[in-house]
Amino acid sequence: MRLILLLSALLVPAIGRAKSGGMTLAEGKGWWSFQSIAAPPLPVLKEAAEAVGVDAFIAAKLESKGLAAAPAAERRALMRRVTYDLIGLPPTYAEVEAFLRDEAPGAFSRVVERLLASPQYGEHWGRHWLDVVRYADTAGETADMPLPHMWRYRNWVFDALNRDLPYDEFVRLQLAGDILRSGAPGAAYTEGVVATGYLALARRFGFDTDKDIHLMHEDVIDNTGKTFLGLTISCARCHDHKYDPVTARDYYALYGIFASTRFSYSGCEKQRQPRDLVPLLSQVEAADLRRPWLEKRAGTTHRLEEIAAESAKAQGTVLNGVQSSLHLLAAADVNDGGSVSFGEGKKESLEHITLKKGELLHLAILPLGSHGADTTRVEWEIIENGGMGRRWSVSDLIPALMSGNPHPGTATAPAQWVFMDWRNGPGFLSEKVEVVNGLKELQAWRNGDTPSVIVNASDQPVQAWTTLPPRAFFMHPGPNIVVGLEWVSPLDGEVSVTGRITDAHPGGPDGVGFRLEHIAAPEAGPALVSLAKLNTEQVQLTRQRDADAGPEPMVPVAFAVTEGEARNYRLQERGDPEKPGEEVPRHWLTVLGGDPVPPGAGSGRRELAEWIVRSPLSTRVIVNRLWQWHFGEGLVRTPSDFGSRGELPSHPELLEWLCAQFDGQGRSLKALHRLILASAAYQRSSAPNAEQGLQDADHRWLSHFPRRRLAAEEIRDSLLMVGGNLDLTPGTAHPFPPEQTWNFSQHAPFSAVYDNEKRTVYQMVQRQRRHPFLALFDGADPNAGTAARQLTTAPTQALYFLNDPFFHAQAQRIVTRFPDVSTRLGQIHQVLFQRDPTSRDQARADDFLAQYPGTDEERWSAWVRVLLASNEFLHLD
Amino acid sequence: MGSTLFPGILQRLLADEGDPLTARAAQFPPKAKRVIFLFMTGGVSHVDTFDPKPALFRDHGKELHLDHPEIKDRPGYEHIYLKRPQWEFSQHGQSGTEVSTLFPHLAGCVDDIALIRSMHTSHSNHYNATLGMHTGSFTQSRPSIGSWVSYGLGAPNRNLPSFVVLAPAQTYAGTQVYASDFLPGAHQGTLVVPGANPVANITPRVSGDRQALELNALLALNADHLAARQDEAMLKARLRSFETAFGMQMSVPEVFDFSRESDATLASYGLQRGQTTGFGWQCLAARRLAERDVRFIELIDTGSSGNWDSHGDMMDHVRLAQNVDQPIAALLKDLGQRGMLEDTLVVWTTEFGRTPFNNTADAKGREHHPWAFSSWLAGAGVKPGIVHGATDEHGLRAVEQPVHVHDFHATILQLMGFDHEQLTYRHAGRDYRLTDVEGRVVNALLA
Repeated sequence: MRLILLLSALLVPAIGRAKSGGMTLAEGKGWWSFQSIAAPPLPVLKEAAEAVGVDAFIAAKLESKGLAAAPAAERRALMRRVTYDLIGLPPTYAEVEAFLRDEAPGAFSRVVERLLASPQYGEHWGRHWLDVVRYADTAGETADMPLPHMWRYRNWVFDALNRDLPYDEFVRLQLAGDILRSGAPGAAYTEGVVATGYLALARRFGFDTDKDIHLMHEDVIDNTGKTFLGLTISCARCHDHKYDPVTARDYYALYGIFASTRFSYSGCEKQRQPRDLVPLLSQVEAADLRRPWLEKRAGTTHRLEEIAAESAKAQGTVLNGVQSSLHLLAAADVNDGGSVSFGEGKKESLEHITLKKGELLHLAILPLGSHGADTTRVEWEIIENGGMGRRWSVSDLIPALMSGNPHPGTATAPAQWVFMDWRNGPGFLSEKVEVVNGLKELQAWRNGDTPSVIVNASDQPVQAWTTLPPRAFFMHPGPNIVVGLEWVSPLDGEVSVTGRITDAHPGGPDGVGFRLEHIAAPEAGPALVSLAKLNTEQVQLTRQRDADAGPEPMVPVAFAVTEGEARNYRLQERGDPEKPGEEVPRHWLTVLGGDPVPPGAGSGRRELAEWIVRSPLSTRVIVNRLWQWHFGEGLVRTPSDFGSRGELPSHPELLEWLCAQFDGQGRSLKALHRLILASAAYQRSSAPNAEQGLQDADHRWLSHFPRRRLAAEEIRDSLLMVGGNLDLTPGTAHPFPPEQTWNFSQHAPFSAVYDNEKRTVYQMVQRQRRHPFLALFDGADPNAGTAARQLTTAPTQALYFLNDPFFHAQAQRIVTRFPDVSTRLGQIHQVLFQRDPTSRDQARADDFLAQYPGTDEERWSAWVRVLLASNEFLHLD
Repeated sequence: MGSTLFPGILQRLLADEGDPLTARAAQFPPKAKRVIFLFMTGGVSHVDTFDPKPALFRDHGKELHLDHPEIKDRPGYEHIYLKRPQWEFSQHGQSGTEVSTLFPHLAGCVDDIALIRSMHTSHSNHYNATLGMHTGSFTQSRPSIGSWVSYGLGAPNRNLPSFVVLAPAQTYAGTQVYASDFLPGAHQGTLVVPGANPVANITPRVSGDRQALELNALLALNADHLAARQDEAMLKARLRSFETAFGMQMSVPEVFDFSRESDATLASYGLQRGQTTGFGWQCLAARRLAERDVRFIELIDTGSSGNWDSHGDMMDHVRLAQNVDQPIAALLKDLGQRGMLEDTLVVWTTEFGRTPFNNTADAKGREHHPWAFSSWLAGAGVKPGIVHGATDEHGLRAVEQPVHVHDFHATILQLMGFDHEQLTYRHAGRDYRLTDVEGRVVNALLA
């Protein structure tokens, strides 16, 4: 320790002179934060001889500065302090009162134990961690794509802290949980994968995130360095670090490790579909999950397979007929709004068509160009030459279009008519629509919007997308989709055909085409009819099966990482991926040992995690962070920079001692909390005497406790809690729109606020558009790690307390919570401040209520607003 | 400005310590006390507006061969053809600066303007180029130029924010373009959305009398609380924030209440009486904010869709130019008449230009073009009636005296009284600045 202090004393002025070339390796190896941890002896104290542990070191500094320590805080203030500190919520009046009455030794530690055991502890301290790792529910590239599975990582952090997962394991899982837990049973494996959400959380960049992947890797390296090691490694992307012993080769060694990792893909403007999401079940578990569903479907599945086989056979017969025996009778293009008779498009005689029973007359309506074309009116009549002189007409189909597909015609003119979708060979219009566009006059057979056959069965024109004439039959092709109408000949003999095709939607704008064909294969008709019937059965069975078995169980997935192709990457000259330099073997930071990733080890993430947790930096950094989150400032006041541009510790021996304790106690964060909270330093009053106020104004020597404003989450959670409407159930997934509907772009990026009454940690956090409340009250930056919240005081915040609708609503809720006016003020004070009103409070309230105009409720709501906006409510002593 | 509430208590309690918005002197005497920053979203075509290229008219339809990876490696750009501008240019004013018929009103202001025809930027994507024009960073989020100015100079008028953004919709990169990022939050832009309720929570929910009662009670409670806590600066600052907020409730609506503007003034901005939207409204609001000493006023004309991004048809520029032309000219004249152009810097820019070519000879639109575009400065400390820099004969590249976005920023800071290399903020172990490690002041633009 002496040596360390000596070295830092030597190094400080050198940094002041800004060693622009960075440290030499030797200098780096001597830098204080890279030294191994050794517990220093407790200092010898002149006056505060009774001080032990943490307090001994604080007392030594105070003595050396000639400063006295402030007295212990009042119990009520201490209770508020520690409750907000550990769970981010106010204590209840009853809890405070119980603590005040608890005279037995260990009263405070009993409070601490209760709070550490509360599930709200993990949510509050997890939020500190989420600040550092720049947690967000969107990716941050140009369209700011949602990350619907990211919440699993968020909740894992809360859970891991609640069960006091040792810090080294907490770190290992975030960097390599997928590898470390591969082959582990269910929950252990899931946890390992979900934890690597830390890496997947990296910001994405650009229009095509793959093109800017080097920026994502930089973000990963930057955050990994700062979060776990307190090192600004990413400064070495374009050149060796200017101040710290990190070289560009070190940077690209780590780059290779992360580039050998497969990250879940968020989707971006170029390629909107997310991919590489990591299933949270093994193949066996996934099969187990799907089995009941598959079993429910099994019965119908068998019949559906039979149908498929029979259909394939019938289809072959139809296609064969079409290919071998097709005669074109008539064909023409119909201009937009135009009308062409069969006669005008005649290619062969339409008056003398010789037919055998089972042969087909086929009418195809075609889109012109690539357009979906138009509603097309079809008039078509078939007359038997000689014989019985029977007539068949599409107008027969108008009164009862819904009779079926195949349609049996009428009693007087029976014949099989088939409505077809020819996009992939012979297919059928399967969807039976009895009310089209809300118009009961219109019926249709269709597949989706188009193709379709539609009738207007009424004797009036109908105004739909265009005016549809009365008692008319229409066909509508789709984009690149031909719609067909087949007539299966019920006779052996000769027929004549007349008809007319009309574009019934002028201004559509393209017009349509038609082809009338004779398929002279007698086996084709019966095959087509049986195919249509099979299709109907298949549609019904499928619908029934889906209704019975329910939706397919989805295998849960995480936005996480897995191993990719393991290889070394090249250095990028001046950080430019277009300028590849020499290949850099994957290895650990040279100054910390420079171990190589062994051959066959995969990406090297498992090794990296191990190097990190074994580094003294990782202990120093987390111990300092924990201290900072309790006291507002760390012992090192640059919590994510322990390099030469960072600050030196105010109490170096204390930091070392805490680190040794931490390492010695299995890196339990809760044990470290206990150690710190038990100190007199933590329990001190926040009221400095004049000298302390002057000499220790920035609380560096901890002569008194720093007062603080509530953080954004604490403000909103407190408002909900005092209003009685805080929902403490943990949040899960956000109600993002379904993935298949995403068409976000830089022109119309994803943007939403999903409000709820849960704790604020469960609000959706967006990278491109900050959550308005969190932005107003200095919430964390979702784009870069926030090592310490900046707490600002702005008039726009005051406007919130004056005029925000939620704030006003909460005040009103509090009033209605306490209907009895005689006890109301007392109850309000107990809920807001956990104390009874003083006579001065009573007088002020009486005064205000007497002066303020309006109804009783208005006056009380106004008074509650005053109390909720007060510094007492929003600050902790 | 004095306090409208409880002046006795407040004057006693509220010293200036620790307040990030306290007005501060610049490094050297500034030419400009405030900035009005006019940002045209989507990429304004330079060759159709401020950068006349006779050769481009002449060579319309000629195939162009550019040996540059951004062109030759781009699918669909195997062949590219020069495309003539759709608007004629003519000389205007004493200076004879040429402007196209897209900006007939602004053409009348060329003698007040220093036009830069050699702007260039570092990215061809809206998101990145817009972020770059606002923060000097083309990838990461960083503090906005308005936040830097607020950080450097503070706010002389404590009843209004120091940095106000008037925008009908979010531009590219969202709120990042006016965020303070790592600078203290008091420096972030306050968003004003044209309309009846332009600032969040600005409209009192109770009458003024009632609110005064509430605030007086709050101040009294907080004064008690403060007295027991050694006048702590953080608590004091919060008291003051209520005073400012109370003032803002009056002063903000007052800024946006144009009822006392003359018919002639409203007409000059193209406004109907009672109108609360449109770029004319934004420009007149900007003048009124400038009169009230707001440091940095940014006007964004359109959001991230339906803007100057005329890929499909350059004729879209007509609608967009009409939206801004008369209001901007009116603003310049109005500031001039009131003597405010002497200490107000007006900046007009966009994120990049548009290609003088396209991949078919008869293409109607133009694509993104970061190699060259036009911007201009006017007012405080700016050399009026000049043209700076030039592009090549077809407007492809800034060839004479090129001005990068970083140089543009350095020049604006210079006019505000700052050496851009000295206006720094220590964050994450490094001193950051608006111009990163680049930027040089364009002295030729300075009067």
